[in-house]
Order: sequence, then structure tokens, then C-alpha cells
Amino acid sequence: MTRVSAGFLFLFVLNVGVQQPVFAATCGCAGVPLLTSIDTSANEKGQLFISYSAEDHQISDLVSGTNDVPDETGRDRSSLSQVISASYALTDRWSVSALVSYIEHRRTISSSFLGETKTSGFGDSVILARYTPLFITPFSSHELSVGLGARIPTGDDNFDAGNRFVTAEDMQPSTGALGKIIWSSYSYAFNQAATLQLNASANYVANEANDRDYAFGDEFNLALGISQSIGTRFGYSAALRYRTTQADTRFDFDIPNTGGKWVDFVPAIQYSVSDNLNIGLSGRIPVARDLKGTLQFTTSYSMSLSLTYAFNGD
Amino acid sequence: MLGRLLIACHLFLLLLQPALAQEPAPLFNGNALLTNQQISLEDYRGKVVFVDFWASWCPPCVASLPAYDQMRSGIGTDAFEIIAINVDENTEDGLKFLKNHPVGYPVLADPEGEIGIPYGIRTLPRSFLLDREGRIVSSHKSFKPGDENKLRLEITSLIGGE
Repeated sequence: MTRVSAGFLFLFVLNVGVQQPVFAATCGCAGVPLLTSIDTSANEKGQLFISYSAEDHQISDLVSGTNDVPDETGRDRSSLSQVISASYALTDRWSVSALVSYIEHRRTISSSFLGETKTSGFGDSVILARYTPLFITPFSSHELSVGLGARIPTGDDNFDAGNRFVTAEDMQPSTGALGKIIWSSYSYAFNQAATLQLNASANYVANEANDRDYAFGDEFNLALGISQSIGTRFGYSAALRYRTTQADTRFDFDIPNTGGKWVDFVPAIQYSVSDNLNIGLSGRIPVARDLKGTLQFTTSYSMSLSLTYAFNGD
Repeated sequence: MLGRLLIACHLFLLLLQPALAQEPAPLFNGNALLTNQQISLEDYRGKVVFVDFWASWCPPCVASLPAYDQMRSGIGTDAFEIIAINVDENTEDGLKFLKNHPVGYPVLADPEGEIGIPYGIRTLPRSFLLDREGRIVSSHKSFKPGDENKLRLEITSLIGGE
């Protein structure tokens, strides 16, 4: 059993979909802030972001504990996640974000008669309400946001790939279960223009079981990184992300070879095409991992592309 | 569908904003950076006033200053004035910029946000147009060349309409 789908998909969704670009600078040089920071958002009242993101997630590394293991099965596993999201600032302190996703999973095992398995369909949706008691301004270097939300199983979780067997849980477009989200982020601006920032974030997701009594393990994410704007158009960020998940369960019994700990390096660049539109490219590269069980397939790397359009408020 | 709904909601809220904008502008006073003249917003009651927050490190801000200065010259100061608020944390930076690029209107220093915080300044440039009674008629974010022409129409309409 591999443990790849819901957690990493959720991670992507949380980073790219729900977390909208941060106000990288207190200078409103362009309508769309430059950097998609780690987990930070600080919308001004009336501002609306609409984003489209796509992530190619390669999941073909075979790992035993902390050690990479040669894969002799000729297995190739990947997911393509597409997300449309919107974030609206009700006030300067309160904002709501929502997203929908479309997921395509592929698995090829050259040594197996099964050959290629492919599933696709609408995935989970996420809604998140955020409160920002502190935000970066020309007069303040600190920003703090906290949020509560839910991952809602709006998609297909009974995919059978054309045969009578329900496809494995990690190949389903949707988890089929509710997830409760606690979310927080903090940023510190090193200069008044806030072109250089330290970003930190933490979130916890408590997963419920789906109608087959399968529950993806609860997960905790912690990230720390920096982001910088260069001029009025370019920006980059770099972060280290720690992620830990409990084992998946069915009927409250742990599923072997699920759960573990990961540390990833997450670089990103952004370019502001116009005052209202920016384009971003980011990746995720494994740095270290310690996975439960004897063998798990896990992330080789991922890359994502995002487009964000801002409708500015007053 | 979701996108259309959100855009509709956003437009609806934008329509509400003119009604919300007619609030009394927070009062302030201070000494002008170049002349050290005592400036108080209340002294300009009876004139249309444009309050402009800027910093020397903000490219659109520094682009806007000469454009606003030219606009002010064109409109005249009988019924109109600009008051600029420099928010550089190091006031010397703002002063140095003004010495090299002087403007005809008063510029106050506000490194601690005593003026900017009551105006809710989060990004720059940020500006507010006040009517003769000192009420905020409109607010503006960022600056692109040509924005001053739209602003000039708004100001002359406000002057002429009263």
C-alpha cells in the first residue's frame, strides 16, 4: 500500500490553492503581490484573488524507513492536480478562501499484468476562514494569521477504473471523508518595504473516515522560509517544510506502510505579468524522510505552475 | 459559475464603497519637512484636499510626486491643496529625496505611523481625496502615469460642484 494521495494533495491544495500570494512588499507596485509565500496571506478589505494552479507530483521513490530502496517492479506513479481557488477579504482582518480540485492519478507497473491504472475526477474541496490580528504595514513588521476550515469530500471516491474492483484509496480523486483544518502563519519583514520576509506556518488536519471506514492519517505541517521581491516584477521564496502523518486506518486498525515524517525543500519564483496578474512556478524536493513500515512509495519531486488574478478592493 | 458568483459579490461590495467612503478624515498636524512650517489638516477646511502617503523606497510613489505637483499647478490652490505624508522610517531619506525632487505642496514626516495608522495605511502609495468639509470622498491605491488625469477630473468636479 502506498501512502501518497490525500496528504500530498492536501499539502498542495493548502499551499497553492488556499494560501494566496502574500503582500511581499508594503509598496503596492503592482496589484498582484509578488510572492506566493509559504502560508501567508493578508488581503485588504474588498480584495479578491482568483487562482488556477496545476501540480505534477511524481511519487515513484521507494523508501524503507529512512533508506531509499531500488524499485525492481518498474513502477511509475504520478498525480496531476488542478485547483481553482478564490479568496475574498471581507474586512481587513477577516477573509474566506475556497477551492475546488480536479485530480488525475496514474500508476504503471511494468512487471504486473495490471499495466497502467488511471483515475481522474473532481477531488476534495477546501474552505477556510482566516483572521489576521497583525499585518505587515509600513509601520509594523509582524503579521499573524489563524484560521479554521474543512476539507470537504466533494469528488469521486468510488472509482473502479473500469473493472469491478474499487481502486485503492490513494488512487481515488477524493478522500471521501471530511478533514478538519487548523491553520496559522507568521511573517516578519526585515525592512520597511517588506521586500525581504521570514515566513513560518503550521497547520493540522484531522481526517475522518470515509464510507468504507478508511481514514487517512491526521497530519501536521510546519514550514519555515524566506521570501524576497526583486524590483517590482520578480520574487522568489525558499522554504523547508516538515510534515508528519499518522498511519492510515481502516476500522480503526492501522494500515501497514502508511504514515511517516518528511522534510522537503520548497523553492518558488514568481513574475508579475501585469498589475493584476502573476505567474508562479514552484517545486518540492525531498530532503529527508522517515517512513513507517518496511516499504513505501513516496514523493520523488513535484512541480507546480500557478496563475493568480487580483481584483483589488477600494 | 463559482468565479462569476464571486465577481458579482465583489462588484456589489464595490458599489457599496462610495457610501462607506464619506467619513470624516482623521485629523493630523505636524511640521513640513522642507520649510518646518506648522501644518494642520483643519486649517484646510473649506478646500478640497488630497492627502498622499508615500516613501522614498516606493517606485510608484516617487513617480507620482512630480505628476501630482504638476496637477496641483494646473488646478491652482485657491480651492485645492495637496498634503503629502512621508512614511520613511528614516526621515532623512524622505528629506534627501525632496531636496533633489522638490514639490510645491507641504510634506509631513510620519515615521511612526501617527498619521498613517488612523488612515489604515497598509501599502503604498495610498491617497485620499477630501471634500471641503474634510470628509473622505474617495481613496486610491498605487499609481500609474495617467492616473493624475483621472484624479484632476475628480478634483475639479468636486471643486466646481460645491
